[in-house]
Amino acid sequence: MYHLTDTQIDFISDDLRARGVAMVSLQQDLLDHVCCVIERELDDDGDFEQFYQSAITRFYKKDLAEIETETIHLLTHKNYYVMKKIMLASGAMSTGLLLIGIVLKFLHLPGAAVMLVLGVAVLSLVFLPLLFTLKVKEQQHAKDKVVAGVGTFAGILMSLGILFKVMHWPGANMMCAVALGIVLFVFLPIYFFAGIRNPQTKVNTVVSSVLLFAGCALVLILVRAPGGTKKDYVAYTDYFLRNERIVQSEAQLLAQMSSDPSTQADGLAISQLCDEIKTFLVESETGLKRIDRDFEKNGTWISETYAQVYWSDAPEQAQKLQTLQKQIERYNQAHKNTVNFDPIALAPTALDPHERVRTLLNNLSQVQLMVLQNQRRLLASR
Amino acid sequence: MIYSSELIKGTLKTIVLKQLEGQRMYGYEITQRVKELTGNKIQITEGALYPTLHALEADGLVTTETEFIGKRIRKYYSLSPKGKTKIEEKVSELADFIQTMQFLLDIKPAMGQ
Repeated sequence: MYHLTDTQIDFISDDLRARGVAMVSLQQDLLDHVCCVIERELDDDGDFEQFYQSAITRFYKKDLAEIETETIHLLTHKNYYVMKKIMLASGAMSTGLLLIGIVLKFLHLPGAAVMLVLGVAVLSLVFLPLLFTLKVKEQQHAKDKVVAGVGTFAGILMSLGILFKVMHWPGANMMCAVALGIVLFVFLPIYFFAGIRNPQTKVNTVVSSVLLFAGCALVLILVRAPGGTKKDYVAYTDYFLRNERIVQSEAQLLAQMSSDPSTQADGLAISQLCDEIKTFLVESETGLKRIDRDFEKNGTWISETYAQVYWSDAPEQAQKLQTLQKQIERYNQAHKNTVNFDPIALAPTALDPHERVRTLLNNLSQVQLMVLQNQRRLLASR
Repeated sequence: MIYSSELIKGTLKTIVLKQLEGQRMYGYEITQRVKELTGNKIQITEGALYPTLHALEADGLVTTETEFIGKRIRKYYSLSPKGKTKIEEKVSELADFIQTMQFLLDIKPAMGQ
């Protein structure tokens, strides 16, 4: 039995480190193992160095560091299975949530928003990141890893952007635009040109690229062009201004017919309240108290904003909508026996604070017109 | 005949756990014991043994104790309570697998069995 000196043990220990074994516990294992082999198999008067160099080659195929690589691989393998399970479970979960959410949304039942938010959140924050982590391990080349990363990022951004869009949260359009831009101008070109070079992946790459491009194109078809959006805003603002003019001239005509404003004080109060709310909404939307006729040039039009955005800063204005609703009910009740009276019939949702600004403005103008018409009828019947 | 490492790979955890049943052992000892018991047919390589031992330790199936042998450290591996219960499961799984293989590959039992 060969007896190893401390110097020789140090030599082996250094050599193991030099050969790329960095894990301390693995170094200890291998050192003891090599020493055992030498002690058992080398004769007392054998050549240590020569024997060591030939003995160590039995430990590996290419180099010693492969033992450490394999160890790390096995240690992460355990996580791999757990991650795979979580990925599959989260995929099934988000699919289920989205399915229920969409059904609830179309049936206009409560709970749709919660389901959709949870579904997209699980999809984009659990499923997609895990999919990426697992896919990256399978990829050999750095380029493929980058492609997987960019693709996942765009996918997460896209799904979150669409979620923001349906929830009317800010930043949705920007997120979708950036995601589509990444897919079309970064991901697709790299993916396509990397894939078609390899004969094995050529067909798959072409098919996937076409599908992806078609998907992006279909999304873009659904999106209204900026020009179309402007046209729409201009039309609505014009519509609002026309209504305003009609209300004003009706009021002037009425004032000419009768100089007694006390004939319908409650009607005037309603009209005034409508004006106050309209002024608030117009100012919040455009920054101006009144919209000019040349609004198109100034870009101060009424867009598609939900009034909800503005109430949070001015709860007293939101309160006015409720007051108005009550005033209208009282008004209808008070005049129901008046000859030729036409009650202001409003759907329960007409003054809903969750409506869009432009819908509310329209409804408020119509309330004012109906009040004015009742006053005219009253005058005519006298 | 020495079995190929591909063949041994899937059963290595079971083999190692079984050796540790009732006694603590260090790496070299495990390879020697398996070699002796199988008449040199199964030679566990260092490249396969240590990653497996570390994985078993990470799974909590084996525990380690260290002892100084002169200048070097010797690590003794022994079964944890969890490892003890796992052996039976692993062995019966392997036995089942062997039966399936016998059927699948149409292996006739050797003479005298």
